[in-house]
Amino acid sequence: MAKLDNKKILACCANGAGSSLMMEKAIDKVMKKYGIKPAELRHCPVSEGKSAARNYDVVFCARPFAKTFDGCEANGTVLIPLKNVMSSPEIEAALKEAGLID
Amino acid sequence: MATVLQTIVDKKHYRFIDEEVTWQEAVRLSALSLVEDGTVSDEYYKEIVACIEKHGPYVVFENYIAMPHSTENAKGAFKTGIGFMVSKKIVDFGEDEDGEKKEAKLFFTLSAANADEHMDNISQLMEIFQNEPLLNALMEANSPEDILAAEAKYPCEDTY
Repeated sequence: MAKLDNKKILACCANGAGSSLMMEKAIDKVMKKYGIKPAELRHCPVSEGKSAARNYDVVFCARPFAKTFDGCEANGTVLIPLKNVMSSPEIEAALKEAGLID
Repeated sequence: MATVLQTIVDKKHYRFIDEEVTWQEAVRLSALSLVEDGTVSDEYYKEIVACIEKHGPYVVFENYIAMPHSTENAKGAFKTGIGFMVSKKIVDFGEDEDGEKKEAKLFFTLSAANADEHMDNISQLMEIFQNEPLLNALMEANSPEDILAAEAKYPCEDTY
């Protein structure tokens, strides 16, 4: 079973309408490629994600927002800041580095 | 179904500029075609400018692309649409947190009032943003005919 099966994944950007939606779609492509079925994959604004992050296993954000999520890793949440929010290859590489996909 | 570029042409949601402008002015100009048919209010661009001022130029991507936008159902976003603009001169958005220059020539300014339509727009834009030959052709475009010709020559495929 893939390590991300039944995990909760969140994608955040400033507004929760543009780049976080792109991130969600790019993440979904990686999930499909690996046949992973996360329990939840959604996007939201950083303002909401800040407090919600602790309830997720993996949180993606655009790099400028990484510092907003300082501390969420103490709860076991894996934070993955992205340079290019629509790049499935970057997401795939980051998940590999985090040991979440093989 | 019409592609986003076809819709941009059909609805006259385009603009071509040749003058040097600030990024704030560029955002205003890129939204004007949306103001003209009531897709957004004439104040809507201010929401976008405020958002970029607050969060930095994270809406500027690689390949001179800017996707200025506010939140879904933002004040003044009456309909869902994309205000497309080609700036012949590079618009300077400053630097990001890594000191990397953020510059744009292609503007895709978003208004989101309907979630499904917006979702479809975003999916299509993702393909366009990763289609470099198309982006290069769009940067050279001077007319709606050029936009359609660019799309016909470099159609988008499902990218990964």
